[in-house]
Amino acid sequence: MPPKRKAPSGQTSAAKAGRASAMSTPGPATPRSVDSSIMSDGDEDFDEDVSEAQREREELLSKEADEFVNKFTLGGKRLQGQKDDAGREVRRYDAASSFFRKRDFSHLPLKPDHQNRPLWIDPDNCTIVLERFNPLAEQATDFLITIAEPKSRPTFLHEYSLTPHSLYAAVSVGLRPRDIINTLERFLKTSLPDIVRKKIEEHTRSFGKVKLVLKHNRYFVESADAEVLQILLKDKVIGSLRVQGSSDITTSYAPTMGGLVIPGTQNAAGVRQADLKEGEKKSGEGGEVPNEADLFATLNEEDDDDDKEAVHAFEISDADVETVQKRCLDIGYPILEEYDFRNDDVNANLEIDLRPNTQIRPYQEKSLSKMFGNGRAKSGIIVLPCGAGKTLVGITAACTIKKGVIVLCTSSMSVVQWRQEFLKWSNINPDDIAIFTAESKQKFSGSTGIIVTTYSMVTNSRERSHDSKKMMDFLRGREWGLMLLDEVHVVPAEMFRRVISSIKSHSKLGLTATLLREDDKISHLNFLIGPKLYEANWMELSQQGHIAKVQCAEVWCPMPTEFYDEYLRANARMKRTLYAMNPRKFQACQYLINYHESRGDKIIVFSDELYSLKQYALKLKKVFIYGGTSQSERMTVLENFQHNPDVNTLFLSKIGDTSLDLPEATCLIQISSHFGSRRQEAQRLGRILRAKRRNDEGFNAFFYSLVSKDTQEMYYSSKRQAFLVDQGYAFKVITQLANIEKTPDLAFATPQECRELLQRTLVDNERGVEDEIETDDLFGKAGGGRGRGRGSGKKSGNGVRRTAGMLSELAGGQDMAYIEQNKAANKALKAKGKKGAAGAEGKSKFFKGIQREKEKARARTG
Amino acid sequence: MVKAVRGVLVECEPAIKSILVHIDSTHHHEFIIDDLDETHLFVKETMLQVLKQKLEERLKETYRPEEPLEDSE
Repeated sequence: MPPKRKAPSGQTSAAKAGRASAMSTPGPATPRSVDSSIMSDGDEDFDEDVSEAQREREELLSKEADEFVNKFTLGGKRLQGQKDDAGREVRRYDAASSFFRKRDFSHLPLKPDHQNRPLWIDPDNCTIVLERFNPLAEQATDFLITIAEPKSRPTFLHEYSLTPHSLYAAVSVGLRPRDIINTLERFLKTSLPDIVRKKIEEHTRSFGKVKLVLKHNRYFVESADAEVLQILLKDKVIGSLRVQGSSDITTSYAPTMGGLVIPGTQNAAGVRQADLKEGEKKSGEGGEVPNEADLFATLNEEDDDDDKEAVHAFEISDADVETVQKRCLDIGYPILEEYDFRNDDVNANLEIDLRPNTQIRPYQEKSLSKMFGNGRAKSGIIVLPCGAGKTLVGITAACTIKKGVIVLCTSSMSVVQWRQEFLKWSNINPDDIAIFTAESKQKFSGSTGIIVTTYSMVTNSRERSHDSKKMMDFLRGREWGLMLLDEVHVVPAEMFRRVISSIKSHSKLGLTATLLREDDKISHLNFLIGPKLYEANWMELSQQGHIAKVQCAEVWCPMPTEFYDEYLRANARMKRTLYAMNPRKFQACQYLINYHESRGDKIIVFSDELYSLKQYALKLKKVFIYGGTSQSERMTVLENFQHNPDVNTLFLSKIGDTSLDLPEATCLIQISSHFGSRRQEAQRLGRILRAKRRNDEGFNAFFYSLVSKDTQEMYYSSKRQAFLVDQGYAFKVITQLANIEKTPDLAFATPQECRELLQRTLVDNERGVEDEIETDDLFGKAGGGRGRGRGSGKKSGNGVRRTAGMLSELAGGQDMAYIEQNKAANKALKAKGKKGAAGAEGKSKFFKGIQREKEKARARTG
Repeated sequence: MVKAVRGVLVECEPAIKSILVHIDSTHHHEFIIDDLDETHLFVKETMLQVLKQKLEERLKETYRPEEPLEDSE
C-alpha cells in the first residue's frame, strides 16, 4: 500500500482521485463506471465547498481504499483506463503482479457482461478455465468436452486444455473451426486471443477434412472439399495409388443421422414413430436431454444442413490403405475413418438388438451419439469411469452397427464376462457369439457373428496350435463391422499395430477408464484407433448415483526406528518390502479391517508387494489371491468373498487391479503400490465404484491408502493421487487412527515383536523368496511370466543352503525364534468346499521360492 | 589427558535421528559424539552445519527419487 500512495502512476491515479472525490467519502469506494466528463464535473463541484487541505487528505484516504478494493475486484472498469496513447493495451503492474509472473493476463480486456460468461482462457498454453457455478456452465461444459481435453475437474472450477488431438476430435464429430471460434467467443469473458484463434484454425483446417470410407467393400478417400482431394491426388505417392478406371472424382450426398436410432435410447424405446423425420428427431433429442445446450443443438443442426452438401471421393485399393493413411498424415491431412454401415450390403447383417427392457443411461447415450453423430460409425475412444457401464456402451454400439463384431479384452476371464454381458443385454443367439481363447476355440454358426478374444491370442506370433492357427486365418480372412477394444490403455502401441493390421474392421471403438500412462505412449492411440470421442465426469456420475461415492483417505504410518534404520541401509528393492512391512502399517490395516468388517463392509486389500501380501494375509487369517494362485482356487476364493458372510476381506495382488468385477466390495485398503502410477490408483478405486449398495441412503465407499512416513512412498503417493484429484476426489490425510491401541489382538504391539518381524522380513527376503513376476491377468496362466534373468537366483533359492551358525541360535540365543505358521485362509475354504482337487498343484506354486524343507513339511500338512 | 569436545544437543523425530545416524556411519563417525536416546543426539558443534546440509540433501532424495517412473505393463 504505502509505495502506491507515494508514487501514483499518472493516468490511473488521476481517474481514481477524481472518482473518489466526486463521491466525497472514502467509504463506498467500489469501482463503478464513471467516465471522464462526469469526473471532472464532480471535481469542480467539490472544489467549491471543501478546503484544499481537507480535499487532499480525503483524496489520499479514498484512493487507498479504492485501490485496496480494486485489488480484489476483477472489474472491467478498472481495466479500461489502461490504454496507452495509441489505444493499445498495456500490461499493468500492481502489487500482486509479481505473484502471477508470466501468467498475468490482466491485460486481456474483459467484456462488459463478463459476469454472465463462464470461461477464462490462458492464451499461452491454450488452457480454458470454466466456472462451474456460472448459470451457463452446463452448456459450456458440453461444448468444452467436445473441443478440449478435461485436465482437472474439482467442484467449482474446471480446467480444460485445447490440444491438437482434442481439436481433431472436435472436427471428427462434425464441428467446424468457425463454430468453435464463435462459440468460444460467446462463452469467454475476454475476447478470444488471436494466438488461440490462429491455433484453432491451424489445427482444424486439415483435420477431419479427409475421410476414409469403406463402401461396398472398397476403400474411398472422401472429402467435402474438392480442392483437398486435388491436393491429395497431385501428391506423387497418393496420386499413383488411386484405382485407375475410376478416374473421375465421384460426387454423392453425405448421409445424415436421419432415421438412425441408437437402440436403448428413449427414441428407440418410447415414442418411436415409424417414420421419424429428421427435424423431429432433432427436436426430440433436444427435449430429451434438457440440460444440453441449445447452442449445441444448433450446431448439430447446422452440421446436418451441411452434410447435405456434396462430398467427393476417389477410390484406392485395399492394399494401399495403410500407405495412403501414412502419407496423408505426413502431408497434414490425417484421414478420418468412418463406416457407412447402413449402406453396407456386402457384409451380412447380424441379428442383434438390445433387449427391450434395456435402458442406457444419459451419458452412455451421449457418448454413443458422438460415435454415430452423422449416421456413420466413427472410430475412436470412449472414456468412462470403471463401473459406469463401458460394456453396455460397447454392446449398444454393436447393436447399432449390426455387423460382425470382434471384441478384444485383456484376460480370458473378461472374455467370459463380455460374452455373458452380451447375452444379458442383447437378444443375440448364443450360437452367434463365440469365444477364442487358449481353452476354447469356437466359431459362430451363421454367416456372421461375434467373436470375443484377448489381445494376446490375436497377436501371439509364436508357434500356434493347429486350432488357433485355423482360427486366426478365419479372423484374418473376413471383414468385421466393429472392433471393440476393451481397456485400451494397457496395450502397447506395437501390439495394436499388429492387431489392426491383421484383422480388418470397418470401425474401431476403444473403451477405457483411465486414458493415461506414465509414459507418453497414449498419444499413439489417437492415430491407431481414433480420437477420444467422449470422456465422462466422474463426480457428476457419482452425484447421479451411477457410480458409488467414495471417501478417500491417506493414512500416514510412522516407521519404528529399527525399521527405519534398516530402511536407510537397504537397497531399493528391500526398501519397498520394508515400507510395506512396516508394523505400524500392519496395525493400521488390521484396525481398518476390524472397523469396516464390523460395519458390514466387504473389504479388498491391495498389495503390489507379494511378500507383504502373504505375510499380512497369513497373519490376519484372510483369503488372498495372487499371480501364483491356481484358477480353481481363485474361483473358490472369489465365490466365497461374494457369498460367504464369514469371508469379508480379500487380499489381492496387482492382478486384481483391472477387469475384476466384485460389486460386493465397499471398502478398499492399499498397502503397497506400483510407484507413482496414477492409473493403478484410479483402476483400484474403480473396484469399489460399482458397489451394489451405492444407492443406499448415505452410502459411502472407502478408499484407504496406507503410507509409511518419511519414506519414498510419501512422494509416490502424492503423485499417484494426481489423477483422482483431477477428477474431483479429495484425499483426507489421517495421521492418527483413534483408539488403535485398543484393538484386540493388535499385531506387533511390543517392540520385541516388531524386531522379530524385521528379522524375519530381512532373512526371508535375502533368500530371494519373492522373485515371482506377476502377470496382469487375474485369470491367466500363472506360469507365463517368469523371466528377467533371475534363473540363477531361483536355483539357489530352491536348493539346500549351507550356512554357518551357532548351536545357540537354534535355541533362540541370537534373536532367532520359532514361529507359528498360520495356515492360509484359502486352504480353510478349500477344505470346506469340495473344489479342493487342484490343491497340491496350486500350493507348490505358492511356496515356490521358500526353502525346500519347509515346502515339503507344508505339503504334508496340506 | 582429558580431551574436551564442544557439542550440541540435537532433538529430533526418531526418523530424522535414524537418518542422522546413518549419515554419521557413512562418514567415519565424524558428526555424532553420543547417541542419547530415541529423539536426542549429541553432535560436534563444528560439524553441525555440515550435518544439516547433508540432512537436507538426504531429505530431498527421499521425496524426489531421481530415476524417472516407469509404468511398464
